[in-house]
Amino acid sequence: MTDAALRPSLLPELELHAPTSIEELTNLVAGGCHPIGGATDVLLSAAHTGNPRRLALTAHVPELTTFAVGPANVTIGGAVTLGQLIRSADFISSVPALAEGAHNVGSTQLRNSATLVGNLCTASPAGDTIPGQFVQGAVVEVAGPSGSRRSVPVRDFTVAPGRTSLGKGEVVTSVRVERCGRLDGSAYRRFTERNAIDLAFASVAARVWLEADGETVKDVRLALGAVGPTVIDASAWAAALVGLCVTAERLDQISESAALGCAPISDHRCSADYRRQLVRVLVAETIELAVDRAHTSNAAGEGQS
Amino acid sequence: MNTPSAQFEIVVNGVAHHVSSGWHSRRLLDLLRSELGLVGTKEGCSEGDCGACTVLLDGEPVVSCLTLCAMVGSRTVTTVEGLNSDHLERFAAGCERTGGVQCGFCTPGFAVMSSWLVDGGTETGDDSDAKLLEGNICRCTGYQQLAEVISSLRTISEDPTGAAP
Repeated sequence: MTDAALRPSLLPELELHAPTSIEELTNLVAGGCHPIGGATDVLLSAAHTGNPRRLALTAHVPELTTFAVGPANVTIGGAVTLGQLIRSADFISSVPALAEGAHNVGSTQLRNSATLVGNLCTASPAGDTIPGQFVQGAVVEVAGPSGSRRSVPVRDFTVAPGRTSLGKGEVVTSVRVERCGRLDGSAYRRFTERNAIDLAFASVAARVWLEADGETVKDVRLALGAVGPTVIDASAWAAALVGLCVTAERLDQISESAALGCAPISDHRCSADYRRQLVRVLVAETIELAVDRAHTSNAAGEGQS
Repeated sequence: MNTPSAQFEIVVNGVAHHVSSGWHSRRLLDLLRSELGLVGTKEGCSEGDCGACTVLLDGEPVVSCLTLCAMVGSRTVTTVEGLNSDHLERFAAGCERTGGVQCGFCTPGFAVMSSWLVDGGTETGDDSDAKLLEGNICRCTGYQQLAEVISSLRTISEDPTGAAP
């Protein structure tokens, strides 16, 4: 040791495991270990609260390192970092709402460590990648002890702030999302005062499919972040657009439904009313951007029909 | 991973170090500063927000305060001490010229990021320097001076003869 140790780390003593198979990982998790990818949230929790102290790295489990942009779906393994995702031009063009969410988590440095699955499992209502997972039809693949496997739609996965539907010993192996196809566009927008070091005050992801005429809305999905205990599936409010063209008046109507229907809290970031006003603005902006991208995907003939 | 007697190898600034396996579950920042004496890497917020502890892992920036040594794996570590000396001299001169340094605590983090950026570092390929530097906080000088330094270093890097206007 040199004299350079100016102050002790705030971290408690940690017990760290490096499993190399799903079976080993789920057994460790069943025994009380916390799985970590980038650990950017978990180490803060350990420093602030003393827990968790028993950790299991996901990085050495080969199955969890999968990142594949296929013809219809994108598969993102549990250990894949946000930096890996947004360095892929295919990823950005395939799932724009999710890519924009990933690009808004933390900073460049944090995105090189933090994982998409970690952002999901932290289950913050303000998690930047979660609204995009909603609109891209994410299915969460889960492995449990004794080799059990199940698939959970993302809207059933986050159940409360910081809580997921994972059972004892279960881990997320991957998230599978639908690629946007032809006449199909998505977008994510958020508002915060300080990028990189603060969470979204409110956020919105939208996905719009257009009919062959390039104008009429065929289907729409909408998800709201940071304005409820979990990300809110607001697609039912946006369904008023289906069968119609997007006009400013109709966007106002949907924005108003979303603003009144969401369930924001007042906290140190802003008031509930301010969040509702942000939802009004962001819903219209995000749907318009998704429509623009659906147009562009048609003109470019990208994606699959 | 928790075997006390074993050692593991970690390559920092091109030098292989053999350190006790107890370091696996401790922060890279502490290893660099306390064990290896590389005190250029600063501990600021300890929470991954300020970027003062930025190092490169296989050439990509991470915060060493939220990186456990085991997470480094086989990747090589580059700290501010291991940056190209010509780059460091130009960065220092640029900071002196523009007033881009006062207390100096954030400076090593910015130096590491400047090296990464000048070497072509990017995320989506379409990011501004301001976006890529969001994870580095300076409370003295503000950011315009540092952005100017990085911009001028990039010009030098693209035209090392200095022939460009």
